[in-house]
Amino acid sequence: MSAPTLPKRLPTDWKSDVMRRRIARRYASERRFKLLGLAAVALSAAFLAFLLFTMLGNGIKGFTRTEIALKIDFPASPLLLDPAAITDQALANANLPMVTDMVGVKVLGKDADKLLSPTAWITVSNAIKADPAILGKTVTIDVPASTGLDLAAKSDGAPEFESAYDRLDRQGIVHTGFNIDFLTASDGTDPTQVGIWGALKGSLLTMVITLLLSFPIGVATALYLEEYARKNWLTDIIEVSINNLAAVPSIIFGLLGLSIFLSFLHLPRSAAIVGGLTLALMTMPVIVIAGRNAVKAVPPSIRDAALGIGASPVQVVFHHVLPLALPGILTGTIIGMARALGETAPLLMIGMRAFIATPPGGFTDPATVLPVQIFLWSDEVSRGFVEKTSAAIIVLLIFLLTMNGFAIYLRNKFEKRW
Amino acid sequence: MTGIAVFLLLAGLGAIAWVVARTRALGMQTAARASGRRGAMHSLPGHHGWYVALWTLVPAILFLTIWANVSPSLVTQSVLSSPAAASLPADSFSRATILSEARAIATGAQAGGFNAGSQLLVEPYRQATQRYGMGGAALALLLAFAGGAYAFTHVRPDFRARTRVERLVMSILLGASLLAIVTTVGIVASLLWESFRFFSMVNPIDFLFGTKWSPQSAALGYGNDDAFGAVPLFWGTIFIGAIIAMIVAIPLGLMSAIYLTQYARPTVRKWMKPLLEVLAGVPTVVYGYFAALTIAPALRDFAVAIGIHGASSESALAAGLVMGVMIIPFVSSMADDSITAVPQAMRDGSLALGATTSETIRRVLIPAALPGVVGGVLLAVSRAIGETMIVVMAAGLAANLTLNPFASVTTVTTQIVQLLTGDQEFDSAKTLAAFALGLVLFIVTLLLNIVALRVVKKYREAYE
Repeated sequence: MSAPTLPKRLPTDWKSDVMRRRIARRYASERRFKLLGLAAVALSAAFLAFLLFTMLGNGIKGFTRTEIALKIDFPASPLLLDPAAITDQALANANLPMVTDMVGVKVLGKDADKLLSPTAWITVSNAIKADPAILGKTVTIDVPASTGLDLAAKSDGAPEFESAYDRLDRQGIVHTGFNIDFLTASDGTDPTQVGIWGALKGSLLTMVITLLLSFPIGVATALYLEEYARKNWLTDIIEVSINNLAAVPSIIFGLLGLSIFLSFLHLPRSAAIVGGLTLALMTMPVIVIAGRNAVKAVPPSIRDAALGIGASPVQVVFHHVLPLALPGILTGTIIGMARALGETAPLLMIGMRAFIATPPGGFTDPATVLPVQIFLWSDEVSRGFVEKTSAAIIVLLIFLLTMNGFAIYLRNKFEKRW
Repeated sequence: MTGIAVFLLLAGLGAIAWVVARTRALGMQTAARASGRRGAMHSLPGHHGWYVALWTLVPAILFLTIWANVSPSLVTQSVLSSPAAASLPADSFSRATILSEARAIATGAQAGGFNAGSQLLVEPYRQATQRYGMGGAALALLLAFAGGAYAFTHVRPDFRARTRVERLVMSILLGASLLAIVTTVGIVASLLWESFRFFSMVNPIDFLFGTKWSPQSAALGYGNDDAFGAVPLFWGTIFIGAIIAMIVAIPLGLMSAIYLTQYARPTVRKWMKPLLEVLAGVPTVVYGYFAALTIAPALRDFAVAIGIHGASSESALAAGLVMGVMIIPFVSSMADDSITAVPQAMRDGSLALGATTSETIRRVLIPAALPGVVGGVLLAVSRAIGETMIVVMAAGLAANLTLNPFASVTTVTTQIVQLLTGDQEFDSAKTLAAFALGLVLFIVTLLLNIVALRVVKKYREAYE
């Protein structure tokens, strides 16, 4: 028997040209790969920056409004209004639109109806309501300019408006300033008069319902599953349900809300309470999953110590486990609420896309929410709505980033490594 | 309002019951300790307090809840039996109109009535409402006293108040957990029920395999045949969510995860990871607006410039690209998890043999992490096909069966929104079709999730 002869092999000559080239090639490929990874991260971040800057660039103009100083000589005007009886009714019935137009023509020339906002008379009406005494004198009231002039003032309008703006600017009766109406008014038909307060209030009411329902139920479910549930078929079904609910597309919750809350239980359409209920069902699984992780992170030694000195299982959980897990649960809750605040699709299903010009007074009034308002404005044809939509998006993003930032702060401050 | 007054009264009673029972138990505890029997009290005084307070509150509140649902019909009964109701018309519809008007006036929701008969009924209504309201409140208070008194007799040293109170707490926790099942059943039942009604009007085979989608023509009375073929919607959904979005999200997400886990310094990783996660936190309506306002017009101009026919201002590509960007954080965080889960020994072994970092990643880490990455991609797909706002705002409504990414296509979610918003009669095939689409969407996302979780789980077990 002879030992198998191995082919004789020389040690690799790393200094040879072939090997050097090979190593150079491998290192080059290593650098390329690393650059590719960096490029992927940079591209994602760049897209985020592009998105935010586009919104900011468009939206920042939405917070300002161009106004024309209109000098109105009330005693000389043909206004049919009794100064002694100023009521909302009387103001609405008076010939204010006509008077405003006439004054406009006198001050601005023939094309006044193109330069003044169609709802400029409402500003005049509000001024009279605030101080009826002005009916006896000549006053200067700042009324909103039309969308065309507004765009020209912000430097991308049509030529005719650009020239009109230059003319008015020389007269010194036009100025662009912060638009307080945008924060205090509600939806409207004219972009110069719309505001987000109604939608913001609707969002607030909806979130109150969502939080009140999903937080207690979510925490109770998390505690039950993590601390008490025995391993049996019922627990399995609960766990499967929660994992499924967390993965179901949000629009399916809208269908559920439509067929159960509206068609079956006959709750009021478009109301904050229905929106809150629907979003609560959607948010609950998020809170349960975050809550379970937080409860799981509390070390067993704490439970053992409490049980050892005679606490009952309920006392162990409510006196020791829950307080220690609370920061984690709250972080999950805030993230879930931020998601609910930005949600649009399920609310469209339950009719929260109606045109609502007054802020909701309660949970059962017709309401809309901020994301749906953004969606509605994005559908408007009038160019003035573009900047209003972006401005509303800025407000929404500020809320969401604040909530997420607070969640991260909470996590960093209270996170414990046991 | 009497309702609020009754609740405040009940809350006060509950608080008093808690204090009284606790004081009594405290007295017993002091007495027991004074006589040297330290273990004589089973429960803490606080538990006795809670036991009595709960017996005071729970039956009364349960009764009030039932009463609030029952009493309106009792009130109506009593109004109908009053002498003023004799003048009511016989036919039930106008009778109901007058009754509801009288109720509205009596509660102050309405100032005056249109029907002459309603004014006569206002006074009986007011009286009956008041009578039943007072009666209900009195009964509730009686129940509260009875429950409290019954429970108070149980305040004895050997009574296990803690066990009783904790049993209630446990059943509340269990009840909260069961709500998840109720919700799931609610979703499945409502989708199944409405879809069943839809499929009684439209053949399921036509729905699932038909290639012509025009619910408008069905609504206009051209018949349901041929109008509800959902294949163009399924194709649009897959084209946008599973193809275009994934072409963007998989390379970017995977490479980001690789760079951040393998190459980046800890400080870079600490800042970049949350930054990328912001992408997932931006509301979808913002992405949709961005796609429709900025991306879609740019893409159309580009397509026209290179001479592609059929370029539309609402294109599959615009929606898919933006959706892909939204999905990046999902892919990247799943890939991150599965790459970090690969045992360090495998990585060290490869590096020790002389492989470069990129060779280690490509030949060792990625193959080992592949099941996790695939699971993550499946989850991302299920997320993408259920996404609504981006496609509603940027993908359009035309049900085209096309491969051209610059053309307009429509998706399942877009059509659900389209069918269910605006004026609608709830029973038409057009609105019910939305539920059938919802059912398909629900089943597909569910299957994707089950498969994805199974893949991920199986892989995790292999290394533990």
